[in-house]
Amino acid sequence: MSFQKVLLKLKRLSAGPFSVKKMMQRMAFILLFSSIIGLGANISLIKKFFRGEYQYGFFSLEEYSSIVFITLGEAEELFATGSALFIDSRAAEDFKEGHIFGAKNIPFVERKKKEELNMDPYPPEGIYVVYCDANECQSSVELAKLLHEKGFQDIRVFFGGWEEWVREGLPVSKEDDWK
Amino acid sequence: MIGNKYILLFFRLAVGGVFIWAGLLKIFDPLDFAQNIANYRIFSQSVSLFLALIIPWVEVICGLLLVSGVFRETASFILSASLVVFLALIIVTLIRGLDIECGCFGSLSRRVDYKLLLTDAVLLFFSLNIFLSQYSAKRKKQSAA
Repeated sequence: MSFQKVLLKLKRLSAGPFSVKKMMQRMAFILLFSSIIGLGANISLIKKFFRGEYQYGFFSLEEYSSIVFITLGEAEELFATGSALFIDSRAAEDFKEGHIFGAKNIPFVERKKKEELNMDPYPPEGIYVVYCDANECQSSVELAKLLHEKGFQDIRVFFGGWEEWVREGLPVSKEDDWK
Repeated sequence: MIGNKYILLFFRLAVGGVFIWAGLLKIFDPLDFAQNIANYRIFSQSVSLFLALIIPWVEVICGLLLVSGVFRETASFILSASLVVFLALIIVTLIRGLDIECGCFGSLSRRVDYKLLLTDAVLLFFSLNIFLSQYSAKRKKQSAA
């Protein structure tokens, strides 16, 4: 049967009298059909999800190979040894109210494109720890992705963020003291 | 309600076209759309992924039905219902003060703001008009018969 014939048949069917029951049946069919195609075409994504690949955010860790997620303990160690630059991706007002001691503020909301992010003074081979409020916020992950795109090679996302740091009573500051 | 057939044709092409375009962009980048849904901080990660894989196909199928003129009332009803949900999401997001992208057009999405609210309201008006005109035309035919 040609496409035109199918379309004609469907048009004839849809020209029938209005019926709530029929409309509900068609809605259920559309939803079921969409579910089958949508889920069926993305089985590999679903498998990756159940393997825990997207627990921090929906992006491929293979694609963003320089991004690693770290715990509070690891962040604390990097802070104690001074081997990493901490980057606070929250808004400037939040940063002024308090941040991890020595952190630099790069608010993600103001720099959503690679070109808008000026990282000239910082070597791409350094270690960078990016954080935001807590594990509900996504700006640290988004900023980490931008840093990766700019060629930075070792980006650690501290997912517990500011809230976990404060809860543990670790060093904080209200000054712009990152230099 | 607007009953002029040319205006209704314009409504169908506009709503159908927008949803086909929006759906296709999301189908090509499901992870980006899943992240956009998760950013609203309403759904869990698993629900966000599940919705991101299904919603774009519903949009494309309903868009195609509207453009081709097949099952108009069903397609416009589904799209009107989804536009009502999107409107509610936008309002809640604005009230909560979240600075996020809407996720409406995949990687071409824009921020949730009042302009987006207006765009959605216009599309809802078009879509509801299609549904109501189709419904009343069929009812008239039924009562005449």
